[in-house]
Amino acid sequence: MIPVDPDTTALATYYDRPILKQPVWIWSVPAYFYVGGLAGAALVLGAVAQLTGDPELRPLVRTCRSIGAAGHVIGSALLIHDLGRPSRFFHMLRVFNVKSPLSIGSWILAAGGIASGLAATAPERKRIGRMIGNIGGLAAGTLGIPLAGYTGVLLSTTAVPVWYKSQRYLPVLFVSSAVASCASLFEMLELSPRETRIAHRFGAIGKAAELVFMTAVESDLSGDSVTAQPLRSGISGALWTASKVLTVASLAVSLMPGQSRRTRVAGVLGTMAGIGLRFAVFYAGFSSARDPRAASGGIGNENT
Amino acid sequence: MKQRGFFTDTTLCIGCKACEVACKEWNQLPDDGFRFTGMSYDNTVELGASTWRHVAFIERPVPLGGQETGLGNFSWLFMSDVCKHCARAGCLESCPTGAIVRTEFDSVFVQPDVCNGCGYCVVSCPFGVIDRRADDGVAWKCTLCYDRQKDDLEPACAKACPTDSIKFGDLLELRLIAEQRVQDLHTRGVTEAYLYGADPASQPGTEGLNAFFLLVDKPEVYNLPRDPVAPANRSETGWATLAVAGLGMVAAAIGAVWSTRR
Repeated sequence: MIPVDPDTTALATYYDRPILKQPVWIWSVPAYFYVGGLAGAALVLGAVAQLTGDPELRPLVRTCRSIGAAGHVIGSALLIHDLGRPSRFFHMLRVFNVKSPLSIGSWILAAGGIASGLAATAPERKRIGRMIGNIGGLAAGTLGIPLAGYTGVLLSTTAVPVWYKSQRYLPVLFVSSAVASCASLFEMLELSPRETRIAHRFGAIGKAAELVFMTAVESDLSGDSVTAQPLRSGISGALWTASKVLTVASLAVSLMPGQSRRTRVAGVLGTMAGIGLRFAVFYAGFSSARDPRAASGGIGNENT
Repeated sequence: MKQRGFFTDTTLCIGCKACEVACKEWNQLPDDGFRFTGMSYDNTVELGASTWRHVAFIERPVPLGGQETGLGNFSWLFMSDVCKHCARAGCLESCPTGAIVRTEFDSVFVQPDVCNGCGYCVVSCPFGVIDRRADDGVAWKCTLCYDRQKDDLEPACAKACPTDSIKFGDLLELRLIAEQRVQDLHTRGVTEAYLYGADPASQPGTEGLNAFFLLVDKPEVYNLPRDPVAPANRSETGWATLAVAGLGMVAAAIGAVWSTRR
């Protein structure tokens, strides 16, 4: 039997060396989390607006499709930039590995890229073009649902303690943040009054949910101070707190009545919050992997 | 084909690092930078993309069971660490390109011409074994000398080990040898001896290791996790919460659009 240390406060380590390897990922990965999430939420909103059949919403549908398609292009470029061998990016589509969220995500991104690309570029003036656009828009919207949050599943399906131990709320948090980020981008754009109201309401739900699930992640880890540490201190902790404050500020500003300038401020704050959150969670994983006490899963580390 | 693996009996290890050298030589791996760490005799520090065997040196202020030394309360533990070739391998399950495969010898092998260096295996290994090399951008780890096994040769580290601390062979036979060894040690007073990862029952998260160990102290002391889990074991919760969140997002979009209609 594996021996148990009765002294739970002092967990043994090997010269304080990490048990796990540091992630090899660079800045472009959390940047993709933001861009991909935003694109997913935009395509969902676009598909819903499309389904109303309301001609007043056609400009919104077009904007959503364009943002979604651009997000797929930029997001893919960010991911390829991170690869050790960028020229082999297409190896991602060699197999479909249902156990790997990264494999599933690659296929979602590839399929969504085609669908949103068709939706964004199909000529609206011709009947066949509108049909292709609408089919593409619905397909992209459907794929946008997992695109907005599969990165949360991807991170929580690793051996990194702060990521896998927040698996219950990380995907929901990423989806919430995707909605908030998407609405924040809309708040920075030139919109019609109705589109502004839609962005406000979509954003208010996203931002409120983002705050709720940030708190949920914290309380889920509250019994495990070693694992929760990266969300409380260091660069990741500072980004986490900043993101929360910015979300509150963005929500408060966007709920104030009127004025397009305020709307734009809310958009900027919300965008900063969304980017900050992705980098906070990303860098938290680095600290977490470095800490052998968090990784050993030993007595005193689990909620036992 | 028979399942083949390693049984590393740390009580036989003398810390000579012949395994490290033999591995480097056979696999033609680059050096690690020749750093001096001051961590006992361990200047190799950890397993990595170009270090596939690593001897850990643990100096303890506790004697080994049933033994007395002239130094009083002291014992020195050596342990040659290696990729565990888990029965359920986190790296293999996470690989999106199919570069990581299970061989006919039941070992886990990375095909360097297929890997595109996405790095997901690096964070998916609960033992911190596999890593990406900076120069070629590809993930590397112990191959269990796949090439040598193809020619019916034992892996270079096991071949070089002067005390047979590293045993290579049929997994079922190794397990019997290991259990016998634990009993022998117990009767000789080394009651701390136990097997780490020898079978699925003792380590459900990995369903057992094809390279398992005999240890005499807690796993953390050797820089091993107490309860390693292949991450894909846990992905269901994530997907389930994502499904709920996705429905919530659709509802939010419908709400935002519907509530603003004239």
